[in-house]
Amino acid sequence: MEFRWEVVWNAMPQMVAGAQLTAQITLLGIGGGMLIGILCGLILAFRIPIVRWLVFGYVSLIRGTPIVVQAMFIYFALPMALDIALSGFAAASLCLALNAGAYITEIVRGSVLSIDPGLTDAGLALGLSYPQILLTIVGPLALRRSVPPLGNQFIISLKDSALFLVIGVAELAQRGEQLTAQTGRALEIWTAVAVFYLIMTFSLAMIMRLIERRMPIL
Amino acid sequence: MSLIQCRGLTKDFGGTRVLTDIDLTVEPGEVVVIVGPSGSGKSTLLRCISVLEPLTSGTLEVDGQRLGAPGVSKRDMRRETGMVFQQFNLFPHMTARENVTIGPRKARGVSRREARRIADRLLERVGLTDRADHLPGELSGGQQQRVAIARALAVNPKVMLFDEPTSALDPELRGEVLQVMQGLAKEGMTMLIVTHEMRFAAEAATRLIFMDEGRIVHDGPPGRLLPEPPSERFRQFLGDVGGKDPSGTGEKPPPGR
Ligand SMILES: Nc1ncnc2c1ncn2[C@@H]1O[C@H](COP(=O)(O)OP(=O)(O)OP(=O)(O)O)[C@@H](O)[C@H]1O
Ligand SMILES: [Mg+2]
Repeated sequence: MEFRWEVVWNAMPQMVAGAQLTAQITLLGIGGGMLIGILCGLILAFRIPIVRWLVFGYVSLIRGTPIVVQAMFIYFALPMALDIALSGFAAASLCLALNAGAYITEIVRGSVLSIDPGLTDAGLALGLSYPQILLTIVGPLALRRSVPPLGNQFIISLKDSALFLVIGVAELAQRGEQLTAQTGRALEIWTAVAVFYLIMTFSLAMIMRLIERRMPIL
Repeated sequence: MSLIQCRGLTKDFGGTRVLTDIDLTVEPGEVVVIVGPSGSGKSTLLRCISVLEPLTSGTLEVDGQRLGAPGVSKRDMRRETGMVFQQFNLFPHMTARENVTIGPRKARGVSRREARRIADRLLERVGLTDRADHLPGELSGGQQQRVAIARALAVNPKVMLFDEPTSALDPELRGEVLQVMQGLAKEGMTMLIVTHEMRFAAEAATRLIFMDEGRIVHDGPPGRLLPEPPSERFRQFLGDVGGKDPSGTGEKPPPGR
C-alpha cells in the first residue's frame, strides 16, 4: 500500500486542532497535578496528622485503578451522583490533574525525604523556623531532585490524555479515530498522529532537560 | 551568670537511656572539651543543649533562658548556641557567603546589606574571603568546615558547640579548622567541643570532660586529668585515641574496640 501524502495534508487542520486540545488538557492536568502533588506530598513528608490518611487514601485510590475507569467515573458517574453537568474537556482536565496529582504526591514526598536531615538541623540551629527551612533550604533542594521524575510523569500524563477519546473529547487521538473513519486511510492518519505525539513529548523532554541543566541536583 | 546549666538531664531513645542524670554548668569564657568512647552520648548531649533534641527529663538553661519556660521559644534558645557539625551540613545550593548570611537575615531579621557585612567579616576571619562566591561543592572539606563555623558565628551565639568538627577531614586539613577554633578560644568565646584531638584538648581547653555510657565520669582541667588519668577506663580510652602519644594525630579508634 502506498503512502498518500495528500491524506495527511487534508487532515492537518483537524489534527492541529486536536493537538491543541491535547496540549491544553495536558497543561491543565499537570498544572493541577503539581498543585495537588506538592500539597499532598508535603502532607505525607511531614506526617501531618489525620489529613495524611486522607492523602494516603487518595493516592491508593488513584494508583489502584486504571485511568480509563477514572475518566469514565468522572465523566459519567460523578455528574450523576452530584447532579452537575461536566463538559468532556473539564472532565478530562480534572481526571488528568487528579491522576497526575497522585503520582506527583509520591515524587514530592520522596524528594523531600531524600534531603539530608542534617540540613534541617543546621537551619534549626541557626534559629530558622520550619517554614523558613522549607522555603529556603529543603524546598529548593527537593525541587531539584524532583525535576527528572517530574519530567517523566509529565510525558506519561501527555500520553494518557489520549484515552479521553473514550469520553468523546476531541483531542488528538480522538481526531485520529474520526479521521480514519472518514478517510479509511489508517496508515497515513495514525502515522501522522504518532508524529504529533512524538513532537510534543520530545519538546516536553527537551524543556525538562533544560530545567535540569539550570538546576542541577546538589 | 552561667551560660549553660543542665540539671538532671536525661535522654532516652525509645526504651534505651542514652544520657543519664547529666549535671553540667558552663561559665562564660570556658573552653570545654568533651571526650569519650563512641556511643557514650557526646553528640546527643550537644544536640540536647542546642535544643535539636527534646529532653526526656531534667532542665536546661542557656544564658538564663529555661527550656519550656513560658515566653521562651525553642527558636529563641537555638539562636543563643552556634552548632558546628561533623559533616559540615552546609546548604549545598548556596554560596559560602549565602550560607553565612541566611542566619542573620532569616533568624535575626538583619538587613541585606548588614548581613553581607557580617558575612564578609566572618569569612575573612576564617580566611575564606576569596571563596565567598563558591558553592560548598567547590570547596575542600577544611574550607567547608570553616564556612560552617562562620555561618554559626553569624547569628552571634553566646556559646559555640562543635561535634567532632575535624573527624570527617583528612589529617592535613584538620589544622586549618583547629586553628580557627583556637583563635575563637583566645578571643574568649565560650565553647563546648566534642573531639578526639587530644593535643587540641591539652592546649586549648580550660576544662576536660570524660563521658562514658551516658554519664559524665570526669570533669576537670586537662592539665590535671591528662597526665594522671583518674580511672582505668579513662586511661584505656586515652591509649585508644593516642592521647599519650605526643605526636598523636587524634585519629578515632575503630569502632568496637
Ligand atoms: N536518633 C536516635 N535514635 C535512636 N538512638 C540514637 C539516636 N541517636 C543516637 N542514638 C544512640 O544513642 C547513643 C549515643 O549516641 P551519640 O551519637 O550521642 O554518641 P557519641 O558519643 O556521639 O558517639 P560517637 O563518638 O560515635 O559520635 C548510641 O547508642 C546511639 O546508637
Ligand atoms: Mg557523635
